[in-house]
Amino acid sequence: MSPAPRVSRRRLLGYVGSTGVGAAAGAGAVLAVGAEDAAPASTAPAPAVPGRTIEPWGAHQPGVAAPQAAVSELVALDLLPGVDRDALGRLMRLWTGDVEALAAGRGAPGDPAPWLSQPASDLTITVGVGPGACRPGLFGAGPPGFGDVPPMRHDRLQQRWSGGDLVVLVAGRDGTTVAHAVRRLVADAAPFARARWRQVGSWNPTDPSGRPQTGRNLFGQVDGSGNPQPGTPLFDATVWVDEGRWAGGSSLVVRRIRMDLDTWDELTRDEQERSVGRALADGAPLTGGPELADLDLAARSQGRLVVPADAHARRAHPSLNGGRRMFRKGANYTREVETEQGVEVESGLVFLAFQADLADQFVPVQQALDESDQLNEWTTAIGSASFAVLPGFEQGSWLGEQLLA
Amino acid sequence: MTRTTRTTPARGRARRLVPAAALALALGAGLAACGDEEPTGSADTASAATEQAGSVTIGDPWVRATVGAEDTSMSAAFMTLDNDGDEDVTLVGASTEVAGMVEIHEMSMVDGAMAMQAVSDGLVVEAGRGKVLEPGGYHVMLMDLQGELAPGDEVELTLEFSDGSEQGLTAPVKEFTEEEGHYHEPGTGEHDH
Repeated sequence: MSPAPRVSRRRLLGYVGSTGVGAAAGAGAVLAVGAEDAAPASTAPAPAVPGRTIEPWGAHQPGVAAPQAAVSELVALDLLPGVDRDALGRLMRLWTGDVEALAAGRGAPGDPAPWLSQPASDLTITVGVGPGACRPGLFGAGPPGFGDVPPMRHDRLQQRWSGGDLVVLVAGRDGTTVAHAVRRLVADAAPFARARWRQVGSWNPTDPSGRPQTGRNLFGQVDGSGNPQPGTPLFDATVWVDEGRWAGGSSLVVRRIRMDLDTWDELTRDEQERSVGRALADGAPLTGGPELADLDLAARSQGRLVVPADAHARRAHPSLNGGRRMFRKGANYTREVETEQGVEVESGLVFLAFQADLADQFVPVQQALDESDQLNEWTTAIGSASFAVLPGFEQGSWLGEQLLA
Repeated sequence: MTRTTRTTPARGRARRLVPAAALALALGAGLAACGDEEPTGSADTASAATEQAGSVTIGDPWVRATVGAEDTSMSAAFMTLDNDGDEDVTLVGASTEVAGMVEIHEMSMVDGAMAMQAVSDGLVVEAGRGKVLEPGGYHVMLMDLQGELAPGDEVELTLEFSDGSEQGLTAPVKEFTEEEGHYHEPGTGEHDH
């Protein structure tokens, strides 16, 4: 049984701007609102609109290729017993309505706290499906190469950060808005699925003048310089499933990587830079050039390799991995952990890797790094999960329709 | 037939309200009768382009679950209606398999308290404008429910306009966690494009 077609939302954004929720009209409106009760606002220059409203529709879910957001929160869910294909369809239609409303800056339908949503929040919501839900009677087989990430020698995985039948990745400019979206999506999924783990982290995607920058992890490394750039053929070939039921989708690996900042800090700056092969100041290759220049893997200085044989950037380099690459994002986390010695602070990176084919791209590169990578001394994967990222949906359609209808 | 719910007025939110005069007019008409009226619009439905249903965009639909509610014989559907056309449209009724009787209702202030009654002349959505159906305001009242509505269900609903045209939609059933009968918003938003 298929439901009645969903109605057109062609005027949605115009509608949103007219409700008076948020200052979508722009900087002038923001200033006018503030001027009445905040004297400094009347003399300060009108602030720029701080973020974007990102439309949720298209061939791909927009959160994958969107610029790194300041806040990323992931929640994995497990399907409840008895949830079948029809029920998954209802959940996906439900979530589609939530995604459309939240992305536009409205409360989700039935939202008891709609004021926590606002436009121009850079908000994206990306939905994926775990290996356990990629089987007959549910979503059917996943995209080519999709499955669990095999164990790695350096892994110290904890169940509480691993696995899951579904994932929702919510990213945005503001942690309050992001947390609210996560809460609505989880609450609305209650008839179908229960939250399994939740991870949140932050990133600084802009420089002090507001221009996009690659951003840094908590080691201080500029992290992600080698990424394929969205909008390029290389990006498309790296990230998107190009044919079959999952065309327009992708796969996502989530690794929770604990970072030992204390021992890292004991290294000299030269040791820190050589462990990766990049300069700390700007992320540029130690072999010269700007940040986005390619590494010269053959370069030697006084007889030794400038980028050491076991430097992270060499081991992960596509030229040494049969051209394999991923599109990586990250979110830095800090968490208090209670131990017998008291409360300790754990730091790390919620590492996200998008690739069309998990088995052919992520796994061989990760195995190469597991075999040899200086960073293994200061980093440990304590969580791992993989998800098939659903293709995008157009207005009037719904998430996963081509897989479930 | 029509349940009247009274509650104390609560704070509104930053949304433009229907002008008081317009509200009073709607109230005066609304108190007279509930439902059963014939379509009052033009009978000229020969041209599909002028059909009211074709000008209306429905957004954010949902239906309140009855599981756990005090009165499980009734519920309500909420949504936004946008009129993208050049003519006013009037929502006069709706139907669904899950309810024996469906009416367009509104919550509004009567003698200083919230009251609910049918919108007997239908809900007018002016050309180029929209109406929000939400708790505390206009809603599609579902009465004589044929069974419980549980979170995670879906309800197929058909909206009927005054020219006889119809538009169908699928609305998810959601838990509504606010206290039953306590509608937190006085008035109903109306807005421009």
